[in-house]
This record gives sequence, C-alpha cells and structure tokens, in this order.
Amino acid sequence: MAMYINGTGCISHQNTIDVDSFFENSQIDLLPLLPAQEPDYKDYVPTNMLRRMSHIIKMGVAAAKISLQQAEIENVDAIITGTGLGCFEDTDKFLKTIIENNEQLLTPTSFIQSTHNTVAGQIALLIKCHNYNFTYTQQGLSFESALVDASMFLNENKNSNILVGGLDEAIQPYYDLLVKAGHIKKQEDIITEIEKNKTKGFCLGEGASFFVLSNQKNKTTKAQIKGIKKFTSIKEGHDLQSKLIAFLQELNLSINDISLVLSGNSGDAEDDKILNENNKHFFSTTDVVYFKNLCGEYFTASAFALWLASIIIEKQRVPKTLLQERSNKELKNILIVNQYRNTEYSFMCVSSC
Amino acid sequence: MVFVTGIGIISAIGKNVSETLSSLLESCTGIGKINHLQTIHKDNYVAGEINYSLQELEGLGGLKNSNYNRTTLLSLLATQEALASADIKDVTAHRTGFISASSVGGMCHSELLYKDFLEHKSHENFIDTHYTGAHATDVAKHFGITDCVTTISTACSSAANAIMLGARLINNNILDRVIVGGTDALCKFTFNGFNTLMILDKEWCKPFDNNRKGLNLGEGAAYLVLESERVVKAENKKSLAILSGYGNANDAFHQTASSPDGQGAYAAIQKALEVANLSPTKIDYINAHGTGTANNDSSEAAAIQSIFKENIPPFSSTKAFTGHTLAAAASIEAVITILSIQHKAIFPNLNCVTQMQDTTLFPVTSLQKNAVLNHVLSNSFGFGGNCSSLIFSKN
Amino acid sequence: MENLIENLKKQIIEQLNLAEVKPEDIDPSAPLFGEGLGLDSIDALELIVLLEKNYGLKIQEPKDAKHIFQSVKTLAEYITSQKK
Repeated sequence: MAMYINGTGCISHQNTIDVDSFFENSQIDLLPLLPAQEPDYKDYVPTNMLRRMSHIIKMGVAAAKISLQQAEIENVDAIITGTGLGCFEDTDKFLKTIIENNEQLLTPTSFIQSTHNTVAGQIALLIKCHNYNFTYTQQGLSFESALVDASMFLNENKNSNILVGGLDEAIQPYYDLLVKAGHIKKQEDIITEIEKNKTKGFCLGEGASFFVLSNQKNKTTKAQIKGIKKFTSIKEGHDLQSKLIAFLQELNLSINDISLVLSGNSGDAEDDKILNENNKHFFSTTDVVYFKNLCGEYFTASAFALWLASIIIEKQRVPKTLLQERSNKELKNILIVNQYRNTEYSFMCVSSC
Repeated sequence: MVFVTGIGIISAIGKNVSETLSSLLESCTGIGKINHLQTIHKDNYVAGEINYSLQELEGLGGLKNSNYNRTTLLSLLATQEALASADIKDVTAHRTGFISASSVGGMCHSELLYKDFLEHKSHENFIDTHYTGAHATDVAKHFGITDCVTTISTACSSAANAIMLGARLINNNILDRVIVGGTDALCKFTFNGFNTLMILDKEWCKPFDNNRKGLNLGEGAAYLVLESERVVKAENKKSLAILSGYGNANDAFHQTASSPDGQGAYAAIQKALEVANLSPTKIDYINAHGTGTANNDSSEAAAIQSIFKENIPPFSSTKAFTGHTLAAAASIEAVITILSIQHKAIFPNLNCVTQMQDTTLFPVTSLQKNAVLNHVLSNSFGFGGNCSSLIFSKN
Repeated sequence: MENLIENLKKQIIEQLNLAEVKPEDIDPSAPLFGEGLGLDSIDALELIVLLEKNYGLKIQEPKDAKHIFQSVKTLAEYITSQKK
C-alpha cells in the first residue's frame, strides 16, 4: 500500500535545509568524520526546551518541525522514530560523570535525555501529540523498522498523518570507539568513487531525516513510497538478486522500470561486495548514484536516501555532484538498495505520483 | 485473533516459568541484597537481582565462553524456554519473527570498560555489542530466526510495545508467528540514573501504599510466542491465552513525570479496550504498572478511576516481587498475567498496607485463588510519556 | 548575602544551561519554579546536587526542597542559616 510523502525535513553533512542550494552546491568532501551542517535551532525549538537538548535531539526535533511545516500540519496521529545509536552524547556524559565522581553527586538531566525514545518524546511534548509513539533501535534497520510500522499503521488507520524519522549522531567519543573497532576508513584510503574502494572502513556521518506520511495525496505531496523490505541477513551469491526481483514483482515492476538507483555503498570494500555485484548484474545501463558520498555511513543513512529520493522525484533532477549527465527520461521509480556492514539490507521503491 | 502459545521468563523470582509460579503462589519476593552488580551503593539498596553470575547464566543455557553480555544471556534463556513451551522445533516452518525490547542493551558490559577506554588503556572492542538492538541480532541468529527481527526501545513500556507490534505483524499478514518480549540487566548506569531522580527506595518498595518511597530496580527477560489463528488450527496447538487488546499513547506532559490525571495512561487503556472490543466492566483484573513511586502510582490510580469509575476491578502490582525490570517489565508482567489466567489466581500486591490519601483505590494484598479471570489488563508506562496497555483473555 | 546571591545566580545559570539568561535578569525574590524562571522538577534535582556539591548541604527528600528553592533569596537564606 502506497505511502505519500507530504513533508520532509533533513539535517545532514550537506546543506539539506535549503533544498535548491543542495541541488546546486552539494559537494563530495569525504573525511573520516562528517559532522552535520546545523541550522539555528532557536528557529524551531523554544529556548526552555533547547537548553536540555543534546546534539541528536536538536537535529531530530528541528528536522521533524521542518517536515511538519512543509506538510502544513501541526499535529499527527503517530510519531515513529528509528535510531541505531540513540542519544550517545548524553550517555557518554552521564557515564563519564559516574566514573569521574565515583557514582556520587550525579545530576539527572543527561540520564533522562539518554533514553532512546527521547527524541520521539520531545517531539510529542513540543506539538502536544498524545498519540501512538514508537522508537526502533535495530542498528542498520532502525529506520526501515519505523517505515514498516508506518505502513501497517496507515493500513489500520485510514486518513492518518504519521511523522516518521531516522536519525543518528556522530560525536567524538563514538567516533573514537569505531576507530578502535577498526570500522573507520583511514584518511589516506578515501577515494571519491566510493564503489571502487579496495580498502576497509567507512566515513562516519550523522543526520536526521523526517517525513510526514499519509495515505492521502494532497498539494504538498512530493512522492510516494511504493514498497519497503528489510532483511536481517543476506547470503553470498544470488540471494540479494533473487530477493530484489521478488520485491519488484510484488510492486508489479521490473528492473526496466527503475529510473535511478541510490546504492548504499559505504566505501568498505568487503561490505560493498554484494551491492556491487547486484548493481553490475541488473543496472549496468541504469544510472546508479552513491548517496553515502554525501551523508557518510551511519545506522539510519537510508533515511537520508529516502529524503534524497523524494526531492529528486519532486524536482525531477539529480544533484550535479552525484550525476554529471543523465538522459531526459522521466524519473519515475527510484530504487534504494542499502546495506549496513554487510549484515542488514533493505530495499525501498520511491515513485512519482 | 492472536494466540499465545508459549512463554519463557527469567527474573529475581525464578529462572523459568515453573519457579516463577511457585514464588508467586508462595508470596516469595525476589527483592533482596545486591550480590553481583558492582556499585558503591550495593550495601545501601535492595534490588531484584538474578542470583547468577555471567558464567552461571551461560551454564543454564548450555553455553560456554559465549562472550554474550548479561542482557543478551537473559534474552537467550527466556527465548529458549518460550520456543520449547510453544513446541517449536523448526523456526522456518512458518514466517517467524523476533521482536525484542531493551533499554540497557550492552551497557552492562560497556560501563565496565569505559574508564579504560577514556584513558586509552582499553583494548577490547565493546561498541559492537553496546547497542540496544545487538542482543536481538545475536539471539535471532542463535535460533535461526530471519524473517523479521527488530528491537523497540521506549523505556519502561518497551516490551508491551514489542508484544503489540508482534500482534500487528500477524494481523497485517506479514508474519504467522512471532516471539515477542524484552530484556534488561541491572547495571551501574541505570542504577545511578534512577538514583539521581531520587525515586529509588532503599528498602523493599511499597506499590500503591501511601508511605511509598520509590521503586526497586530489577532485571530479567521474558518472551511470549504469538501465533496466528491459521497456524494454531493447522498445527492443532494448545494456546495459553489470547492477546485480545493493545494500545499505545503518549502523556506528552513531561520528560519523566506522569501527568497527575494520568491522561496518557487513560488513553492507552482506552485504546486497548477498543481493540479488544470490550467495555471496562469486562476487565476482571489489572496487573498494574505500580512502580512504587509517588508520581506513577497516583497517576495510574487516577487513570484507573477515570476509566472504571464505580466498577474498579481488583488490581495489583507485582513489582514488589520482581523489582522494576525496565524494558523487560511488560513482558515479565505479561507472563505473570498469563499465569494468573491459567491458574485462576490473582497474585498479591506485596508490602502495601496504607491506602493512598488521594484515592479510594486499594490493591489486592493477598493471594486470591479461584478467581474468574476472563479478561486481564496489563499496564506499562515509561519515560518520554510512553504509555502502553495490553489485554489478555482466557482461551 | 549580596555576594552569595550573585554567586548563586551564576551557578544556577551554569548548572541549568540557561544560556539566554544573564544574572541581572534574575530577580532574587521572583519564583524560580512555575512562573518566574519557569524551572521544573528535573531542575529541582539539579539544584539539590548543586547545593551539595558547592555548599556541602544535603537534602534527603525532594519535597523538603520546595520552600528552600522558592527564590534565589530563600535559597541564599537557607545556605546562610546552615553555615551558623
């Protein structure tokens, strides 16, 4: 069942607040750590709420607010978020204080703001939403879990508006932990043709992407999500390929109907192997662009991909930095194929409507 | 219709369903001295700690050197029991999912290594097992469940939301069968966190008592196996109960405190009744959230009063048995609710003596046998205003 | 007392991250909670820790703190009274 995207809000490493500027001016400037470009949060959140908000909470609440403004609504029937890491800045703060003060003289603010559903809770407080409120935390499938829930919710509650978001932060202590774990690409190994990487590691990004979804189309509708599918494991070989055909068949589509592919290559050669094989097999004559060149890799990067797909469908153009030349064919169906550390995979089909 | 065909549980009152039932029938609390959690507060507080070390928990599961942390081990043990209880030998026989919940995740392990990490002394990579969803990945993989795996983290209502999601996945024909529940281990992070909120009782908690001073933390895991009507019929399965209603709403009042009139709680209970197509008068018993904090118990009582008016059903909080097990609470209490229904017993609200001043409500304080329990409501309310209610009905 | 009040204002602003508020904006007699500065129950807990950390004074029950934290002035008076 189709879900219409009636409003979007995105904070990321690029300037994604000004969408026109994004199309013209976005750059691929990969570094091991890709912090977000942030707005003046006072434009979106009252000061007395802002004072307690950590980095991810500010990003999430602002992106949510922008999407509601775009959809021209003030409240929703459900708030569903996905975050793999949660509120790490507050977690780190509280943990550090426990260690430094040997469990004495601790203050509550960073503890209460560290729970994973803080963003969803703060949005509910801000817009006074007493309705359904869920937060998913399944690493690279956190946002997809939220979308599957949204799809069921719209099936159960016709004429609803749902606010769905995917967000994660990349603060220094977390970055340091990933370096220690061997997940971060060395500066000297970074190349812009992400799909041609021969080395391990990815560039860590962050961001918050929010959407107002509905089963009703209206004047603010940008695109529709035709289908979403998530997988907790993909075997080597043709597993992903057969699953993709099955996914498209369910939507009455074939490979030839895909106008553009947003491929979730992270730059880690090992992790990107199956995606590259898939792209080679099916899309040698279709435009394939690599969205993590813009946003970096993080658990909910697929939410950035969805935002990107929705504005590409809306504006019928692709940012120059991702695709220098393309045919004038209508951009009808965009396929997002994402992976996180070759463990979690997902498909999304975003279409014009 | 969604049927409960299996249950599994581990908490301070027992390492499995059988031990749990004995403790409940004998009014035997699991709240006591803290032995395993290393915190400077251990001698000044009580908690519902499971009296097994990591190695002993591994032994219970027939594992050795698994490298699983405490949260993951508890989840694995309860899931193992639930699968056996539902007589599931082949998880791939039907579209099967695993929906879990946790707030602690791997923090119980990360916090032991964080000091060394900050001082650049640590060599262990603990980040990959730190995430709240990491245990679900490990447990699902262990049992070969691949069709749908996810984790919900909405503080103290998490497991109720996992159970609700499971039911909806079946009702939306995405899955035929789903193992749902939650897990949380005791850890310094949450212990100190609740202490900063000044809502821990140093002594045994007194839910719904006028002189209550706060909650006791607990730890544990519990899972239900939910199956569709089609599968239950096809396999001629015995069902323990029906999950007939569920509802989630948001208090939107304050980050941690509940509204005085229990608005969020009221809405969640209301929604659960609507889904179950039941009027309030049909509820025979409420397993309350009843943490023992001044705020929650008043707020929940107000909500119960508003919905049930003159017909307040018998109610009790079982948190004076198990402690507040955070993300696992709702699934632990769901198992207790199902045991209630199966054994026609209302388990008591231990340690409650004096009625709260601001209400006429008073819980059941001694075991009641031969209770008529056709429909039971179970509440769970968490930080971020997250309120969830479930209704279980007799088969 | 004047000095203590000024110090308390600065400490409160820092502890509660009241970035937009300057010490001269806080009327020492104005309510801290509800109206006035509009602080809430979490802020009360933060102030209880501030009192212990900076002045060595421990409040056991949050409800006892209500009259102490009514305004900056009452807070200063409490601290002064405990020092005797």
